[in-house]
Amino acid sequence: MTGFETRAIHFDGQSAEPRDIRLQLDPARRSLTGPGVNWPLDEVREVPDQGGADLLILRRADDAVQRLILPDRSLAAQLPRRTAPVPAVQRRQIWIWAAAAVASVALIVFVLVPKMADQLAVFIPPEGERALGEVTLSQIRSALDESGTQSVGFCTAPAGLAALQRMEARLAAAMPEGQPLSVHVLDHKMVNAFALPGGYVVFFRGLIDEAGSPEEVAAVFAHEIGHVVSRDPTRHALRSAGSIGVLGLVFGDFAGGALVLFLAERLIDAQYSQSAEAAADAFAADLLLAAGLPPDALAEMFERFRRLGGDDEGIMAHFMAHPRLGDRIAAARTATPPDFAATPLLNDDEWRALKAICG
Amino acid sequence: MQDRPRNPWARASGTVETAPADEPVKPADPSAPAQDTLQGAFVGRGRPLFWLALRTGGLTVLTLGFYRFWMKTRLRRWYWSSIRIGGVPLEYVGDPLEKLLGFLFAVVILAFYIGVVNLLLMFASFALLQGNVAAYLLSFVGVIPLWFYAQYRARRYVLARTRWRGLRFGLEPGAWGYAARALGHWLLTLLSLGLLWPRMTFKLEQYRTDRTFFGDRRLHQGGGWTMLFPALKWIALALLLGLVATGALGSGAGGLSFLLFLLAGILMLYGLAYYRVETLVRLTATKTLDGVGLRLAASPRKVLRIHLVGYLLSGLGIALPASVLGALFVFVQSAETLADMGLDSLPWAGLDRWVLVLLGVALYFSIFLIWSALTHALITMPLTRHYAQGLQLTGSGGLAAIRQRPRDEHIEAEGFAEALDVGASL
Ligand SMILES: [Zn+2]
Repeated sequence: MTGFETRAIHFDGQSAEPRDIRLQLDPARRSLTGPGVNWPLDEVREVPDQGGADLLILRRADDAVQRLILPDRSLAAQLPRRTAPVPAVQRRQIWIWAAAAVASVALIVFVLVPKMADQLAVFIPPEGERALGEVTLSQIRSALDESGTQSVGFCTAPAGLAALQRMEARLAAAMPEGQPLSVHVLDHKMVNAFALPGGYVVFFRGLIDEAGSPEEVAAVFAHEIGHVVSRDPTRHALRSAGSIGVLGLVFGDFAGGALVLFLAERLIDAQYSQSAEAAADAFAADLLLAAGLPPDALAEMFERFRRLGGDDEGIMAHFMAHPRLGDRIAAARTATPPDFAATPLLNDDEWRALKAICG
Repeated sequence: MQDRPRNPWARASGTVETAPADEPVKPADPSAPAQDTLQGAFVGRGRPLFWLALRTGGLTVLTLGFYRFWMKTRLRRWYWSSIRIGGVPLEYVGDPLEKLLGFLFAVVILAFYIGVVNLLLMFASFALLQGNVAAYLLSFVGVIPLWFYAQYRARRYVLARTRWRGLRFGLEPGAWGYAARALGHWLLTLLSLGLLWPRMTFKLEQYRTDRTFFGDRRLHQGGGWTMLFPALKWIALALLLGLVATGALGSGAGGLSFLLFLLAGILMLYGLAYYRVETLVRLTATKTLDGVGLRLAASPRKVLRIHLVGYLLSGLGIALPASVLGALFVFVQSAETLADMGLDSLPWAGLDRWVLVLLGVALYFSIFLIWSALTHALITMPLTRHYAQGLQLTGSGGLAAIRQRPRDEHIEAEGFAEALDVGASL
């Protein structure tokens, strides 16, 4: 390596005055030298991502402000650590704050928001709860539409609706007064049913298609009423109102973030807790018994879901996702007393009408 | 024709090195530039920027958004270093890890606000008003002051990480004051039906400029808000034309009224560009830094043209992947419909659904990426170049006395702005 000399502008980082200097590469001392400049070669770095390819702009790894501007890039090849990273400040702080951020988001999403939602769900007046259910239902209907342009329609064949109302009246008669119910069937192939705040119980066409008897539909109905009565859907809606905003905040809205946000929303939206499901099952068993209907219809419906499971994305997620489906089937079976005599729910014509509710 | 030195020696050695002529820039002053006038130039090219934006954007998608701090830093370094004043480039020294840190900090603060406040608002609006419109409205209104706050904080961070001739820029703290003033001025502007818009533009710029430093010297915003009034003239004309068009519609002249509305619309677009550019030119010309003056020459027509042509070309650029995505979507839909009808014995029935979904997602993200890279190369870069080439520093002799300012640690960086998505700016 021979000596190398070039013109350079030196900014000392203390004043705005440029100093036009001659800069030498001193191979013996392994440094860049010039008037007022003595930079060890190992400390010299190039300032990256330059828009103009003509100049070579150098800095020292151990000095934040000094700069050398060289008129061409011929020196670049002789700088051994030109592209080595400049040690960034406070790496430890990053980890501390990252931990703090994760902890605070977890605390808010998993503790604070659910706690508050549980408390508030009790205080929300009936009209407010109904409005919440109404809004959620219309959101779900437009989200389910695959073309993305309209909403999934309700099934409204009059004879089918009459049969459904008969079922509702039978269950309502066995319940305490004052719990308003509003039952709908959505014209969608998914094998599913869900409850929403304000007493909304919604069946999908797929579930009615798959059901083997009116009692099985009634069993699912009773299970969903169980959720309504314990206000699970209200809690759930309030929770997601609080959590989704926070997750949107964390992931930003650039393309990658949008995907994660979508997945996270799914995750939050997935299920009620195991205990909420067990409570709804127990409620359903009692309600069915009181209405003179066989509680093991719920077990039959569960078994049907289990047989369908795996080959269709439309399987009732909130039934299937729980690992102890077998336990729940057994529990529903044992809920039927040995001397139980069921009173028929719908006659054959009514059952056919219900099956044809979507036309 | 004026020389735009591409490097710091052009002036010192007396050689005149002219930038590749994109097009002649009219000098702000018809008389020849004085000896101590420094001219702005822009040396970056569209192609390398396109690849940088595409590459860093791709990494951002692959890292689920976390590379965006690096992407932003690298793009800023590129833009800043492309702008040269008197041949010396600006430098951006922001650190991606510092941005990540600021973002985490903002998450800690904002997660609480957004989680709890949104929940309470949702509850209150359903419990009291039986609807969620009030909640959305209130949580939006609640974020507005934060939004201005974040805007100022982000500007402070960016200035604190910008250098020229080795000296730091800086912005004094004052974000809440800025937010309060911005809210007040917006209210006045709305109440005055836009007549006080120039006043808002001036006062907010004055607030920021008077708190801006280069090295140890403070910038000063001179002039008064009434000097911005003429910038409204084309907007006023467009509104007038719209009024005439409405009159023509009322008197039954449908064809004429349509023509007038169209004309008013085009004029309005030009009027907005004119207002933006003209206020910027006038505000820049009245800024001073301890005897050093600023001048900006910029053309509203060119700015409007860059936007129109840029969006048109970017739109064409994504047309191909977008139409492939559209075709794929229709294909999946029709395959599903056929399957529903029991006609699944068709040749594509065996095609794995997941392959199609993955293909769709990949296409969707590439449209995103290509669009963002194209708008960088075709809009942001040409605009920055136009402004940079029109910039002049007069009386640059005064620069010699300026000294360094201490580093502004600014722990939260631009985290709030990042978290609240303040503007889609750089
Ligand atoms: Zn359930």
